[in-house]
This record gives sequence, C-alpha cells and structure tokens, in this order.
Amino acid sequence: MAIKKFAVACFDDEAPLFAAVDKVRNSGYKLHDVYTPFPVHGLDVAMGHKDTDLHIAGFCFGLTGTATALGFMSWIFTSDWPINYAGKPFFALPAFIPITFELTVLFAAVGMVLTYCYLNQIMPGVKKHVFHPRQTDDYFVLVVEVPEGEPEGEIMEFLAGTNPLETNVQVAEDGWWFGRWDKDEDYTKNFA
Amino acid sequence: MMTERFTVPAKLKTTGFALLIIGLLTLIAGGITLLGSANEIDHSRFWVSLLHNSVFFLFICVASIFIQAAASLAQGGWILAYKRIPEAIGANVWIFGIIALAVLFAIVFGAADHNGHNPIYHWTHPGDDKILQGKSAFLNPGMFVGFSVVAVVLWSWFGIKFRQRSIAQETAPKNSTKIYWGVIALSGAFLFVYALTMMSTIPWFWIMSIDAHWFSTLFSWYVFASAFVSGISLILLWVIYLKGKNALKLVTKEHIHDLGKFMFAFSIFWTYLWFSQFMLIWYGNIPEETTYFKIRMQGPYSFFFYANIIINLVLPIFILMSRPSKRNYFTLVFIAFMIIFGHWIDFYMMINPSPMQENWFLNWFELGVPFFFVGILILAVSNTLSKASLITENHPLLKETLVHIS
Amino acid sequence: MHLKYESFVREPLITGDKTYAQVTEDICKPIEQKPSKLWYVGFVLSLLFLGFGVFSVFWEVYWGLGTWGINRTVGWGWDITNFVWWVGIGHAGTLISAILLLFRQGWRTGVNRAAEAMTIFAVMCAGQFPIFHMGRVWNAFYVLPLPNTRGPLWPNFNSALLWDVFAISTYFTVSLLFWYSGLVPDFATIRDRAKTKLRKRLYGLASFGWTGTAKNWQRFEALSLVLAGLSTPLVLSVHTIVSFDFATSVIPGWHATIFPPYFVAGAVFSGFAMVQTLLILVRKIYKMEDYITLGHIEAMNKVIVLTGSIVGVAYLTELFMAWYSQVHFEQEAFKYRVFGPYWWAYWAMMTCNVVSPQFFWFKKLRRNIVFTFILSIVVNIGMWFERFVIIVTTLANDFLPSSWTYYSPTWPELGFYLGTFGLFFTCFFLFSKYFPVIAIAEIKFTLKVSGDKYKRDMQRLDAMTTEEFLEEANHAH
Repeated sequence: MAIKKFAVACFDDEAPLFAAVDKVRNSGYKLHDVYTPFPVHGLDVAMGHKDTDLHIAGFCFGLTGTATALGFMSWIFTSDWPINYAGKPFFALPAFIPITFELTVLFAAVGMVLTYCYLNQIMPGVKKHVFHPRQTDDYFVLVVEVPEGEPEGEIMEFLAGTNPLETNVQVAEDGWWFGRWDKDEDYTKNFA
Repeated sequence: MMTERFTVPAKLKTTGFALLIIGLLTLIAGGITLLGSANEIDHSRFWVSLLHNSVFFLFICVASIFIQAAASLAQGGWILAYKRIPEAIGANVWIFGIIALAVLFAIVFGAADHNGHNPIYHWTHPGDDKILQGKSAFLNPGMFVGFSVVAVVLWSWFGIKFRQRSIAQETAPKNSTKIYWGVIALSGAFLFVYALTMMSTIPWFWIMSIDAHWFSTLFSWYVFASAFVSGISLILLWVIYLKGKNALKLVTKEHIHDLGKFMFAFSIFWTYLWFSQFMLIWYGNIPEETTYFKIRMQGPYSFFFYANIIINLVLPIFILMSRPSKRNYFTLVFIAFMIIFGHWIDFYMMINPSPMQENWFLNWFELGVPFFFVGILILAVSNTLSKASLITENHPLLKETLVHIS
Repeated sequence: MHLKYESFVREPLITGDKTYAQVTEDICKPIEQKPSKLWYVGFVLSLLFLGFGVFSVFWEVYWGLGTWGINRTVGWGWDITNFVWWVGIGHAGTLISAILLLFRQGWRTGVNRAAEAMTIFAVMCAGQFPIFHMGRVWNAFYVLPLPNTRGPLWPNFNSALLWDVFAISTYFTVSLLFWYSGLVPDFATIRDRAKTKLRKRLYGLASFGWTGTAKNWQRFEALSLVLAGLSTPLVLSVHTIVSFDFATSVIPGWHATIFPPYFVAGAVFSGFAMVQTLLILVRKIYKMEDYITLGHIEAMNKVIVLTGSIVGVAYLTELFMAWYSQVHFEQEAFKYRVFGPYWWAYWAMMTCNVVSPQFFWFKKLRRNIVFTFILSIVVNIGMWFERFVIIVTTLANDFLPSSWTYYSPTWPELGFYLGTFGLFFTCFFLFSKYFPVIAIAEIKFTLKVSGDKYKRDMQRLDAMTTEEFLEEANHAH
C-alpha cells in the first residue's frame, strides 16, 4: 500500500468511457482503475482483465461439502454408531442425498462469498479512497496513476482530450485500510 | 426482407432414406420372425419395441411445441434465431401421432396371448382381478381411444398452427403485433391442453397402465421431464447440423450456449423428479409400490437402471458444467446424442420390464426399429425446413435475438 | 460495448423519464427522510403483534405443549401448517432473484430486493414453529450433529425432519448471503451521498468499503450468477424436503410421489401472492410507481395463474390417483378430505387456489391493482388452507376409528401465528426504512434498455430492416 498521485477524469455515459479506456491503454500511461455505479458489460474486457476464477473456487468448496456430508453420515451410520432405522440399510444412500445436497450448496455459497470478499478486499470496517462521491451514483470515473516525481500537467492535458465532464488531481492511498467513513484522511502533506 | 432458404442436401436425404429402410427391414424381419414365432414372448417383444419407439419419438417431438408455447408466453427473444426448427419438428407431430395411434390401437385391440389376455395392457381383460375391475371405469378401450385420439389431434393441430402463424408474420405489415399476441393466446390454450394430456392422462394410459396395478402420482410429470430434455437436445442437434451446412446465419455461440444451459438444467430437473419418485417409494417400502422398482433395480434390468442415472445425470452435469463446453459444438453434439439415447433407455425402462419380465432383449430388433423413426424424422423435418425461410423475419422480437448475450 | 436494444412490444419497466441520478435520488429518499405517520402506525402495530406472539410463546414454553390444541391423534396442527405456509411464502423471493436472473427476465430488477427481504423474514418466521413445537425448547440443539457425551448419540440422518433442519438453515444462510452481496454496492451509494456523520459511518460499515472498481464488478457478476445457480436447485430442494416430512411416511393422503414438485409450485404460488400484497403497498407508500409498474404486477400475476394451475392439476391428480390406486385407505382418506368433518377447509382451498387465480387469464384483471391486491390475499388464505387440509384432515381420521378426533387451536397457537406476522412486518418496516427497497445498481443496469426515455430513442432501431439493424449492432462493438 502506498500513497500516490492520481489524475482523475469523470464521464456520465459508458460510450465516452470506453473510448477513454482504449485511449489510455494505447498511450502507455498506467490505468489505475475505473469506477462505475453498476456493472458495465464489456468493461473488464476493454480494460484487459482476465475472466475471474471465482466459480472454480465455488466448485471446489461444493465438492468439499459433498465429501464432508457423505463421509460424516456414512462413518456415523456404518461404523461409529450403526442403528437400524425402519429396516433401512446402515448405508442408506437415498436417505443421505438430501443432506449431502444441502451441505454442498452451503459450503459452495459460504466459501464463495468469503473468497469474493477476500479477493475484492471488502469487509466491515474497511475503507478505500473514493475519487468522486458520484462514482456510486451516476459518474463513470477513470483514474490514471501519475508516475512518482513527475508533474501531472502532461497527463491532465491528455485526459482532457477524452472529453470528460471534469478532471482533477488527487493524492490518495491506493489500497485499503481500516477506518471510519465519517472521518476524512488528508494525504496532501505527503506530497507537499 | 431478410430470408434464408434451405435446400435439403442430397446426402441428408440419402441418409434419411437409408435409415428408414434399415428400420423398415428390421420391422419386416421382426414381423416375420417374431410374430411368426411360436413363443408368445416374441410377440410381445415385437409390440413392446414398437410401442417404446413410437411413444418416445412422438413425445420428444411434442416437446418442441411445448418449447414454442413456453417461449411465446415468457416473451423470450432468445429462441427466434432458430425458431423454425422447433416449428418444423412440431409441424410433423401428426406423422408420429398417427404411427403411435396405430401401434397403440393394434396392441389394445390386437395383441392377445393363448388365453385371449392382452400381454401388454392387462387391463383390457380384467377377468376376476378386483383391482383392474375397480379401475375399469377409466382403464377401458373406449376411454383409451378417446383420450389418445383427442390428444394426438390437438397436438398435431397446435404444431401445424404455430408454424403457420409464424410464417404468416413474415408477410404481415412491418412491426405488426397482431399475430404475435394471437400466438401468445394460442400458447395459453396449448398449455391448458398440455396439462390435461401430456402432464396427466396420456402417460397414465399409454405407459403407466402397462404396470396395470401400479400407480404413482408423479409419473406423468416425470415422463414430461424426460421427453422435454430430449426434445431440447433434438433441437440442438438440428441447429448445429444446419450451422455446419452454413445455414442459420443469425445463430451465434450465444444462442447455442442457451441450449446447452437448458440441457444442463433440465437434466438436473429430470433427476430431481426421478429421485423424488424413486426415493419416496424406496422410503415408504409399500409392496404395491415397490414392485415397480424391484424388477428394474434388483432384477435383470439393474444394469440399465444405473446406466440411466449415469448417462442422464452424471454425464450432463460434469460435461456441461463449464462455460467453454456449452459453447463447443463437439461436446454439445456428443452430449445431445447421449441425452437422447439415455432417455430412450429411460423409456425402455418404463415400458419393457413389465411385459417382458426377465426375458429382456436389446438386440438387432430393438436397436433396428428406432432407425425407422429417425429416418422419418430426418426426412420430414428437413423437408419442412426447406419449405420456408429459416429466418423468422418481421417477428417483433427478432432484433433482440441479434443482440442476445447468453 | 453492446448495442442497447429492447423490442417495442415490451412495455418500459422504468417510467418517468429517469436518469441515473434520479434513480439514486428516488430510491434513497425514503431512507434519508423521516418516516411518514403511516409508517409509525404500522410499525407500532407490528410490535404489538410481535409482543402478543412473544407472550403466547412464553405461555406455551412455561406451561408446556398442553396449552395447545394438538393431541395424540392430531400431533401436528396449526404449528406445522404455519411452518409450511411461511416457508412457502419465502420461495418467491428466491425464484425472482435466482431463477429469473438465469432466465434473464428484466422485470425482476424492480422487485427482487423486496422479495428477497421477504424470503429472509418469512424463513425466520417459519423456523420458530418447529422449534417451539419441540416443547422442551431448551433441548433444541439435539437436532445438531454435535459431538457429545450422550454416547455419542447422533441425530437420525434418515429422518425427513432432520433433513428439514439442514434445508431450512442452508436456505436461510444462502438467501442472506445472496441478498447482502447485492446490497453492498447500494449501501455504498447511500454512504457516498450521506449528509450526516452517523449515516456515513454506519452505511460505511455496512458497505464493506465498496468502491465499484471494474474488477470488483466483474467478480460481483460472477458471484451473482453462481449464487443464482446454487439457489435455484436449493429453493426446489427446500420445499421438496418439507414435502418429504409428509411423503416419506406411509400415511394415506401423505405418501404421494407428486408431493415434491407440487409443494414447490404451491410455494411459488403463495410467495408471489405475498410479494404482490407487499409491493402494492410499498409502491403506494414510497411512491415507487415508476419502478414497480403495472407491467411488473401483470408479470407476477401471470406467474400466479401458471403456478395456481399447476397446483390445480396436482390436486386433481391426487384425487384421481386415490381412486385409481384402488387402495381402500387412500380412497377413504380423500373421501374424508372432501366430504369429511373438515370439508369446509378442502373447498376453501379449492376455491381460493384453483378457481380464483383463473381470473388472471384476463388482461384487464391482471392489470387491476385493487383486484390483484384482494386476490393476492385470497391466494394466501387458500394456501394456508392447503397445508391445513393436508396436515389436519389427514391426521384427524387415522387408522383407528376409536381415536378419531376433531382439532381446534387454542389461543396460544393463534397468538403464536399472529406473533409471526408481527415479526415479519416489524422486520419489513425496518427494512423499508433503512434499506434501499429497490436494487439501485441493478435498475441502473437496465435503465438504458428498458427505461421509457431510452425506449423512445429506440424507435429508430425498430424502424430499421433486419439487415440495417445487424449492421448497426456489429458496429457498436
């Protein structure tokens, strides 16, 4: 985690945003990230993100659940404490299916949500820098990193060429930290 | 106006005829050797196999009408890129309907053992069987004929009507919605008919009554699920075949992906119903009910019993789970063939064990008869497809299907 | 970027010429304002019901199950009836959020948030009944497979009642996760526009630090899809397992193979009716008519007539099979159902569930709000009677005629039921005050496809020929 200087450009529609993302990626500047108020289809591809492997994690968690349920019930009913219930066999597979299914789903869902929170680095108490308060409302915010020690003028000029609604320069933490959302951090002093 | 004509390739025609003739020869050979045999089991073998195939192929074709009705009612745009295929299959339901009726009536009125009893539908001669006497208000030849004829006529009519309306839309004024809403009303009517035939009475009469004492409230829904997932697979096979012939230019991987999802989801749905029926009967363990599974699971059919689950559940789940496999023509074709074959086996398991008991066959005759039906299917559907444009031009939802993302 | 297009035959799902900013404003406003008087009245009333429910349950726990009307013949009465009823109601939320997501039904975005909330609250209510029906509720943890010093004595994994424990708790957990993962970005929206410090702090906490980066949204979509894929079979399994509580027995009238899918259809049926009841109120009180349009109400009414008819086919199938089976006890069980001492319950069920939804074949009635509201309540009454018929009428005439009896509930049972209404509506009022009742991000996602303002611009696309349109769509990439 580090404190860096960023050049920010805001748009109010997806079309100019996609054009700007293309332009930044072709220019050689470092695209820090793009913030949108809702999932924009195709943006991840335009930014060069790979597909997420989250569902593979879900599959593995699910299999763990299947194995846990089947293994546990089989062990209890065939070896730990076999009981004759209604003349059913000790290893009564059809009767084990419902619980096995439920635990498969439970493990897959809980495991995936935890993985998701970890990958996205979100949890209660986490705080991240918000480049524009309207990025969760109606703005599409594109952020370019200003290389350390370099002036931002050239980048700002470049961003202005993408027809944004507004541009500005911000100094901010680029990762996450624990903090309260009703208190503001001020990093400008780091670059004074 | 965007049109796309399909001319039936000579190779497809030849294949269709070849299969038809193989099937026909099998039937003739079977007619001579099996019906001419002194052994009564051979007579049953002939009829049971015909019954199995005629009902199976009729049901998977009727599934195409159901898919059209469901998509119309849900206002689904996804189907329009290849809607002419379920339309062509549905419009040929009458052929399979007539064959099935002929076979069914021949069995009900014609099949008899040396005592004059019906070897397949025991209920035609209840004798002093108290249970069958009790059921005779429903299970009697008159009711059987009535329900069967009405069902087949209605299905055939809807199948032809849906296609007609769809073709009429092409020449209707641009963006006119009169036919569109008319088809939606028609689809509602079809669902009503479907609920009272396919989802209830018809599988009771045609299939469940073979085990004349046995009963299961779920049975017809289970038959529906089996036919539906095979019906989807059948549509997919046609889509990919035409795509391979450079036809269906509007169909993209997104549309194919949809069909893959349907095959995946409804394989699970079928398993759900299979499990519900099996588990409850296994759990209740009441002799009247378990007889059905006794012979199928523990008797000579146990191999098919487990193969049924592996082909129809395990294979689709593991092969179709990942996204790339639902967009790959080869895996899709493979799994579609497996699903159709698997549910053919499922129908085999519904129909064969009761009349044949431990004398089961899956031999030249049983494997040859389906070719007759496949041959008809290929010839009839390809011929219908060539009669109209493959593009449902001017349908109000057609443009949506062009920007459809699975 | 793809070409945004929706056919002209679909009516707009968002009316009132909304922009992204207005969507945020409309949905967040109720949270930032003081609640109306009506809200306070409703909330206090709910609390009163809840209080009475707590007292009734306290009474039962203190004095024992003898305070209820159930007896040795009718061991399951209102308690299990209410349990099944509440679980069923929950199903619509999952159906809307999961199955309709998989089926790409755009109209779900207007109603899914409230419907999912309803699911969670309904499952909470449902869970109370089996727990307190245990009698010695302090031993309730016996149902969990915990290592213990009693042997170790494990629960019976072959019992459908234990399957319920797993099914309901899994269902609750997964629904909660699904719901909350969708809420996180919306909480961030409220946080970023919050004017007061307290609101900023609390919604900051609730939003998990969400900022909406492209990668986060990509994972968000992947998570939603997989959770929807998991919830779909899950929701089927839950009411299936509830139906197993009855169907795994050998009691005539309960042991029927059709029970699993028929219970699921009934659950969706009653759930959609409850969604209608709630959303017709919500759209009126919070002035959400632009987001929950007549089109939404009509779509849900279509689901109601479909599932109502499926349930009807199942009723008739059951009745027919009872006769067809030629099993004496099956036939008697259904004779007592239809003409026995509880005939009124059977016919109430038939009228409310099978006959009344048929009115929704008519477009005029599907789009009539008052009619829909009344019918949604009728359907829920009918579905309550369905469970009552299945449970009580079957048990009241059991195998031994000498033990036949007539069951009526006592006041603690009634109070318990009313109490769950209190719990449900207390939760729902709090939800509607502090949570965005409509999924903000999802509405924005569909705005430029189904918003009326944008649909007017699409007339240009509708006028094109298919070739021109195809050209345009390929260019947009």
